[in-house]
Amino acid sequence: MTASRTAAVAGRVLRQLARDRRFVVLVLVAPLGIVFFTKTLFDAAGTPFFDVTPFAVPFGCFIVHFATFILTALVLVRERTAETMERMFINGYRRLEIITGYLLAYTTLATVVSLLVLTELQLLFDLGYGPGRLASIFLVMWLLAVISMAMGILVSNAARTEGQVIPFIPAIVLPSLIFSGIIVAVDHMPLWAQVLSRISPMYYANEVLQELIAGSGLGGDVASLVMLPAGAVVVLLLATQTLRETR
Amino acid sequence: MDLAVRLRGVTKRYNRITALAGIDLEIPAGSVYGIVGPNGAGKTTLMRILVGALAPDGGDVQVLGLDPRQERRRVRSQIGYMPQAPVLYEDLTAAENVAFFARGHVLDAVRERVQRSLEFIDLVDRAGDVVRTLSGGMRQRVSLAAALVHQPRVLLLDEPTAGIDPELRHSFWQRFRDLTAHGTTLLISTHQMDEVVHCDRVAILRAGKVLADEPPQRLLTEGRAVVTVWVGETPHRHEMAGYPDELPRILRRWRLDPAVTRIEVEGQTLEDAVLALIEREKAGSDDG
Repeated sequence: MTASRTAAVAGRVLRQLARDRRFVVLVLVAPLGIVFFTKTLFDAAGTPFFDVTPFAVPFGCFIVHFATFILTALVLVRERTAETMERMFINGYRRLEIITGYLLAYTTLATVVSLLVLTELQLLFDLGYGPGRLASIFLVMWLLAVISMAMGILVSNAARTEGQVIPFIPAIVLPSLIFSGIIVAVDHMPLWAQVLSRISPMYYANEVLQELIAGSGLGGDVASLVMLPAGAVVVLLLATQTLRETR
Repeated sequence: MDLAVRLRGVTKRYNRITALAGIDLEIPAGSVYGIVGPNGAGKTTLMRILVGALAPDGGDVQVLGLDPRQERRRVRSQIGYMPQAPVLYEDLTAAENVAFFARGHVLDAVRERVQRSLEFIDLVDRAGDVVRTLSGGMRQRVSLAAALVHQPRVLLLDEPTAGIDPELRHSFWQRFRDLTAHGTTLLISTHQMDEVVHCDRVAILRAGKVLADEPPQRLLTEGRAVVTVWVGETPHRHEMAGYPDELPRILRRWRLDPAVTRIEVEGQTLEDAVLALIEREKAGSDDG
């Protein structure tokens, strides 16, 4: 792998993103809209005895996870259907360079989305968190975005058309939410569901977030925190191995 | 003779469809080699095997003495490939597209190379335009520039002149000749028979088989022709197969008779010759 080719892919993707303003606005506005509607829902369902805090931040993270996963999967499948992926290979680009280049470019976008969502959560839900806690939550959200993009890349390798990505959305994103522990505590789930939850990055993100919400620092659940970048590396390696140069 | 490409018994199947049924070809270095055949003949499959994008089911493939599957990187650094459709990023400019594909080969002086490529395809004045705003012919030219920006030894062009106007087609062929003058080997697939005359040698492909592998002039001379000798107002028709050999015999028969007022030779076009070849093969395979 060479840094110059990786930078060329990242630069090209960023340049395309910069020119597709409608896409960028949608990517930034859609998660903000969903967070706003969630706030409206919580307000309508809320009682003085219901504390939304344990739900608000993890749900915001889930939105970032959902958006980055789908976007990355769709954009990479588009490269395949347009045959630009094949042309990249023929012109000397290698699998890891393409994947890393994409990841770098989309990480920039994910960083902006994470920052915006976190700011909105802080303001709308009146969280009152200090800079240290906010930075920690941002780190978790950002790591979750990175592993979500890696999952998107992996899924895109299994699809030949954009339409083939659609079945992966309920198959991956919904279990991610259900087994994350945001809605129902994982300890109360049957054993098989508890096992399944361990393969969802959303579970580890929620574990760390609950520690942060409760007032502990990032050291509250180091094992779960480490699982996010470690999982991202594993998924990226899998994505690199399954991205085919030859048919 | 130095060979740029050598194929021995190459086969490829897509489920029940045979795309290549045991292809043998030898393409000399520095030549313009045409692959001609109807749609579905196996031209694109052959090209994609040569660039290592498709794995053959059987046979031996060598590009510049290397196996494109085993030594993919080394092969790809020495070849340029222009796909049938102009595969480009529509939201990038012409220059950005060419530069991006150039950087895949980790080149120095990318900017200069991009400039030279755009000059070669005569598109410098539109270099900064987004590809989406360019015409189909211009996109084809940008695609060609992206294929040759790293100065490959072998250039594989899949129907490069499909859907472009005759003037641009003429200029494309001039540029192809310029490239071979500098030692580049060109493998060009086409289904436009009139273009075959520009090639040094041509393989006729149908249903994954090579029906002929000859210089285009040979294909012409092997074709049928009709000689009409006019004596006054009376035409005398002579049908010939292989007219360069038979024509003198017919003329001898007339012994330059002063009564002969006109001699017309109506030769087959290359298209007729290729179609006749394909029809003969079709009839043969139907009988078989």
